[in-house]
Amino acid sequence: MHIPDGFVSPSVAAVTGVATVAALAIAVKRANNAFGVRSAPILGLTTAFVFAAQMVNFPVAGGTSGHLLGGTLAAVILGSPWAATLCIATVLIIQAVLFADGGITALGANILNMGVVGVWVGWSLTQPLLRLLGGKRGRLPLAAGVAAGISVVVAAIVAAIELALSGTAPINIVLPSMTGIHILIGVGEGLITGGVLAYLATARPDLLPGEQREFRGWLVPVVSILLIAGVLSLFASAFPDGLDWVSEQTGFDKLGENVRVAVPTPFADYQVEGLDKIGTSIAGIVGSIVCFGIAFGLASIMKGAPAERS
Amino acid sequence: MWSLTLRLYISLIIVIGSALLKQNAWSMLSVYGVLALVWASILRARLPKLAALLGTELLFLSFLALPLGWQRASFLLVRSLICLLAMNSFLLTLPPHSFGIALKSLPLPSVFKQSLLLAGQYMEILLSEVERMQRGAQLRGLSGNAGWLRYASASMIGALYVRSLDRAERVYAAMIARGYTGEMPVTCELRPKETYIVILMSIIASSLTIASWLL
Repeated sequence: MHIPDGFVSPSVAAVTGVATVAALAIAVKRANNAFGVRSAPILGLTTAFVFAAQMVNFPVAGGTSGHLLGGTLAAVILGSPWAATLCIATVLIIQAVLFADGGITALGANILNMGVVGVWVGWSLTQPLLRLLGGKRGRLPLAAGVAAGISVVVAAIVAAIELALSGTAPINIVLPSMTGIHILIGVGEGLITGGVLAYLATARPDLLPGEQREFRGWLVPVVSILLIAGVLSLFASAFPDGLDWVSEQTGFDKLGENVRVAVPTPFADYQVEGLDKIGTSIAGIVGSIVCFGIAFGLASIMKGAPAERS
Repeated sequence: MWSLTLRLYISLIIVIGSALLKQNAWSMLSVYGVLALVWASILRARLPKLAALLGTELLFLSFLALPLGWQRASFLLVRSLICLLAMNSFLLTLPPHSFGIALKSLPLPSVFKQSLLLAGQYMEILLSEVERMQRGAQLRGLSGNAGWLRYASASMIGALYVRSLDRAERVYAAMIARGYTGEMPVTCELRPKETYIVILMSIIASSLTIASWLL
């Protein structure tokens, strides 16, 4: 996923560069405790480890290959997404400056995709997923593995958007292809992250965070809904539903074509034009957020102010 | 004659200047190419090792660049070759364990410098642990055509991490015992004459790069 020089336009490079510098400035302030006598070797070794792991590409279908991003793994081992952001940023700087892997002009975009988005999506999903699974320490590899896989896909979507904004490739080509191939790479990322954490949980449990309180708040339904709408929807059956099938069989499906005013809908048939299956996923997530927003707004209005209720 | 700090600064100026060039600015790129060649000959990096490194890295990069078409790929590859020539010449002529001293002079937050230093040092530990694990596997008769599968398994990667961490903790404790407090206990600043050389190189590089966008 390393974007080379010449793939991003100067304006996209500048915007992502500024965003990355801001994120790194905060990370440097927040990650100071990662340099104690106890933590510094872990941070240094994790950085070297992710660097080495990114050099080993594993084969993916269709003649392409992928490599570990390591953001979620680093965040879980280091116990801090800020330290993990620094770790991945260091790896990307070394790769760009010493090995020309990922461009220097695209360094801001690469750090933003893998060091900020990749790390934070993985970290933010690991915590609620672990609590969803009961909060037990033994479930951490599974939670982190799933989160790591999803974080790769989200980072790829952000990279695709940057490439499209740069005019490198049209969005309807680059987004589905980047997302599709990174779903497969995400499976590899999830397996490696989960496997390494499962080993560490046995060999060095002191390196991993302790048990989490079981989650009972609003995050459980929200995360579940986003997983169903964004991920499971990709595997939805393409067959017509019951009414559609009956209308096709009996021939009254043509009546739908005689509507007098055709109302344009942005996500007709749960699709985004030109985005194929990924469009279903995006439509699902957008639909869920809109439903949540409307229901939340209605509930707030109905509830009224505390004084009115009394 | 050339201090570590000066060597690092000049290498970085060549790398960053050429990376920021406009696409297809061949004339400016050729000037950077000459600068990188002169710099490599001044540093006297060992040619066979330099050629082997450049060859491996370029082969890897060509897989990424060639699908973009010859015109775009050729510029990207030549530019990468110039960057790699400058940085590899610097790295191959560093005295042992002096990367941290060179890093100290960079105007970066100390957290980053520490992270870079430790990552560089622990890379050696990782590689030596991989060799030890390979030797251990061979001694147990675990070899053959599918031997690589063992090293791809998650538990082997985890074992490598834990073994390397044990050594990394001992190395860090030894560094602390020898006076390391987050920075290398040595002074590392540019001498006045060296400062002029860095300023001159910066002016040349920025002129070339800006000219590539304006002309």
